[in-house]
Amino acid sequence: MSYFFQLVVSGIVVGSIYALAALGLVLVYKSSRVLNVAHGQLIAAGAFITYALTVMVGIPIFFSFIASMIITFFIGMLVERVFLRRLIGEPIISVIMVTIGLGSILDGLIYLTPFGTENFSFPAFLPQEPIALGGVSISWTQLVGVIITFLLIGGFSWFFKKSTVGISMRAVSDDQFGSMSVGISVPKVFGLAWATAGLSAAAAGCIIGNITGLNFDTLHAFGIVVLPVVILGGLDSILGAVVAGIIMGLIQQFASGYLDGNWGLNGTGEVLPYIILLFILLFKPHGLFGIHEIERV
Amino acid sequence: MKTKQLFLNALLVLAVMFAFTSPAFAGNVYKLGLSLAITGPTSDAGNPYSKGVEDYFKFANETGILGADKIDCTIRDDQYKTDITKRNFEDYLDQGIVLYLNYSTGSTLGLKKDFEEEEIAVIPASFHRGNLDGSNYIFLPVASYSEQVISMGEYVANNHKGETPKVALFLHPSAFGRGPLADTQAAVKAGLKIDIVEVVEHGKDLDNTAMLKRLMSKGVQYVISQTIQSPVATMLKDAQRLGLTSKTFGEKGKLTFLGAHYTGGNDLIALAGAATEGYHWICSYNLTSEKTEGTTKQLALAKKYGRDAKAANSHNYANGIMVAQVATEAIRRAKAAGLKVNKENLYKMLNGMNGAKAYHPYTTVGPVTYSKTDRAGVDMLQIYSVQNGTFKKVGSPMQSVYMKKIK
Amino acid sequence: MSVNTWLATGNFNTTYKQEQKTFFTSLDRSVFTFFLLILFIWPLIFPLSNKYMLVIDNVLIAIVAVMGLNLVTGFAGLISIGHAAFVGIGAYTVASFCRTIGDTHVIITHFWPVMIILSGLVGAAFGGLIGLPALRLKHLYLAIATLSFQMIFQWVINFMSFFNQGQTISVGRVFWFTGKIGRKDHYLFWYFIILTVVVLLGFGIRNLLKTRYGRCLVAVRDNDRAADAMGMNPGLTKVYAFALAGFFAGVAGALHAYLYRGVGFESFTLHESIGYLAMAIVGGLGTLNGSFWGPVAIKYLDLGVENLSEILGHYTPGMNLATALKPFTFGLVIVLFLMFEPRGIANWWRIIKSYTKLWPFRY
Repeated sequence: MSYFFQLVVSGIVVGSIYALAALGLVLVYKSSRVLNVAHGQLIAAGAFITYALTVMVGIPIFFSFIASMIITFFIGMLVERVFLRRLIGEPIISVIMVTIGLGSILDGLIYLTPFGTENFSFPAFLPQEPIALGGVSISWTQLVGVIITFLLIGGFSWFFKKSTVGISMRAVSDDQFGSMSVGISVPKVFGLAWATAGLSAAAAGCIIGNITGLNFDTLHAFGIVVLPVVILGGLDSILGAVVAGIIMGLIQQFASGYLDGNWGLNGTGEVLPYIILLFILLFKPHGLFGIHEIERV
Repeated sequence: MKTKQLFLNALLVLAVMFAFTSPAFAGNVYKLGLSLAITGPTSDAGNPYSKGVEDYFKFANETGILGADKIDCTIRDDQYKTDITKRNFEDYLDQGIVLYLNYSTGSTLGLKKDFEEEEIAVIPASFHRGNLDGSNYIFLPVASYSEQVISMGEYVANNHKGETPKVALFLHPSAFGRGPLADTQAAVKAGLKIDIVEVVEHGKDLDNTAMLKRLMSKGVQYVISQTIQSPVATMLKDAQRLGLTSKTFGEKGKLTFLGAHYTGGNDLIALAGAATEGYHWICSYNLTSEKTEGTTKQLALAKKYGRDAKAANSHNYANGIMVAQVATEAIRRAKAAGLKVNKENLYKMLNGMNGAKAYHPYTTVGPVTYSKTDRAGVDMLQIYSVQNGTFKKVGSPMQSVYMKKIK
Repeated sequence: MSVNTWLATGNFNTTYKQEQKTFFTSLDRSVFTFFLLILFIWPLIFPLSNKYMLVIDNVLIAIVAVMGLNLVTGFAGLISIGHAAFVGIGAYTVASFCRTIGDTHVIITHFWPVMIILSGLVGAAFGGLIGLPALRLKHLYLAIATLSFQMIFQWVINFMSFFNQGQTISVGRVFWFTGKIGRKDHYLFWYFIILTVVVLLGFGIRNLLKTRYGRCLVAVRDNDRAADAMGMNPGLTKVYAFALAGFFAGVAGALHAYLYRGVGFESFTLHESIGYLAMAIVGGLGTLNGSFWGPVAIKYLDLGVENLSEILGHYTPGMNLATALKPFTFGLVIVLFLMFEPRGIANWWRIIKSYTKLWPFRY
């Protein structure tokens, strides 16, 4: 039974990290209707900036974590200003492709640095001993990761619900012309959405980097890995991202816990999210928490 | 329209050729080609590897190992894609290479037939034993993955106390990872005293808890990995977190981790930190953490060409140097024998590297021996284990017993 | 319609039949025939090295695949991020025959045209199947559904022993009337074959777009509800767009298998799917000639950057610039096209054509 509970705990841990990684995508989509495929590169960039500040400059890791969130905040804003601003109102394929192109450009830039091909790991700053509770164990890194995830997600939910800027962001996503007419600067809101996405990417990058070590391939793959999570959650719902993230985390853990190694199956944790996604989309075409646009073929 | 593109292409090639053929000098130039993954999957190994090859050829040219003759080795990135490797290979052939250096398992298998038809000797960075099946022209630099995994199995069998040790294999989901599986199973059939309880092919997992717990419940004590560093790092960290890592080799009720060539090295320590303590790694190269004459030369070479500490101490840098050394040596021997340096003669020279003529590069723990029947180079394997954050030798170099039995 | 078809200066159609003609004037037809002749003859006059022949063959295969992608994404407006998987299905159709009957079996080596068509049909079947979610899904959700298909395809190939778990499955050398095609003539031989396929399929698309079925695609893309109101069946149209794209991809896959004489899983990954999309966009979505420009441009860019960085590499020793420059320029070209020329190279072609037609008058 402790096997089962361990899987549940691990699933929740992995799931909440997915949720954090997915958060950036949701933030961008929520206000500007853009699916950012380059999010994985932002995650990697955030992690590398933190590492560079901590190890190469020598700032304590907590401050470099904050600093890298600030830097990616501005990177996000810059990206929106340079690449996305021109594409407002273009068809969906252009918008997806421009973020794919952006990802490729960021790839190239990261390959210019040693981070592109070499492996690094953050200096250990948390106790190495795991926390064990009745046969179920969780490491400090994971625990802190989950806590930061929920703090950030809670913060963003509050931000969207209560703050003026958050409400104006929601207004823009609902009706661009309407919000313009009441004096909301739409471009500013788009910029802000990308900036917050950049910020959340840095946070996700640091947490993932602490768990897996810093390897560019592993980190930027997250941009694609979280896509089923975001779609399952319904693209524009923060709550949806959290629920879908945890569902996916649990599915993966249970798949690799109970399916792998039996009946000649292996690596099911990688493919099952996509299969389940396809099925769910057949019955709920807008994900679990997405807004239903009334439209029929 | 395509014709126009073509002419532009041809013009560009001509321009490049003119630009670099102008400086005239006395000796011959021997063309070699290397196509490898500097980006994409496994680039963390490919990058230092390419540096090793590049530096050693430069060194050979500057110090006149081949007299007045020079080696010109073009290095290209193929992003681990067989299509691009093939394009590079065809290009190198057009340029008239005498020896080809390849990289990935996938492309070596994919181009095997071309190597046969072209009758050109190939040294890949992949030590997959399947490379040798039905091929006469592929020369593995060191013992194959199968041999490495079987050697680890033997090491486990010899050092384990109690009944038959239960072993799990942790494999990369590709040809590269799965290669040794069948051979290891054959070795077990031939009498190797280990019990392969489970074969895991890993994904991009953030958390290996489920897998590790499952292995524990099946009574596994040893995990032998044949993959790249980052999944091993994640697994080691999780094992440490769960308190499953053994303190000593073969501790009861715990897991002892072992791994083949591409799982180990300083990169693993860089990724997993303290969790690597006690990790056993098998490899045919000298490591800079155990100072020898060879590693001093390796570090000097890296220093000469301004490589950072990370590249200089990488075993894949040593790997690249070694392959370049073998290639240079083959050319040198062909020249010394008064033969023309071409595909046929280099192939002959490589095949003749055995017995008294075995070649010992400074980067490996044993000599390179090739013959018509044995095209795996260095047969000696050294076990290293991590102690206080560096890889230290365990015992002396060994040679697999069961590998010969299953051949 | 002017009486002399050589001197016609414009469009004087009086019947629908005339409007469906492929060439409006005899001059058009002769220029085109001449151009085709050049395409078929030049490699015999200027023999190229194997590398460049391989590159050109590769471009032509990409053209076949991108024509299919352009049908589904450009004309029918359904985003497909899984096109490489369809190409893979074609290639693996050939490969699974090789696995079961041996790679030098007479069916593989002598009846290869049948194999190519068969691969296309299998691709079409899968295309139709994967197109089913398009009945309910739209936009991004559909794109992600095709992405799921790509991932599932990769997993199946990678883990099933029948497909050699993604390792190369070799395909034998083919025979022509003159005997076995050896290593020397391999790339030249396939150049002619693939070029023929491109020409046939190109005419196919051109004609399709003049029929009811082709126009259905465009109508459904622009407004599926309006199309429905006008008596078309948007659901069926979407599924059949996917099936058609699957057919083209399947043919491309089989050609790829024969050209490389082996099928390995690395050639059909998500990265390739993105590459096809990039080709379609750079060429020009929703145009036939864009399907030719895109692959040429993207593949040429790749080669050009490689050559350039080799030249630059002599000035920056110890660094492999191609590594960083390749993804960088690839991304940059996509972004620049989307920002400044969203209609792709096909639009430049249109501008040049109309300019030369009217020259010396400006408009």
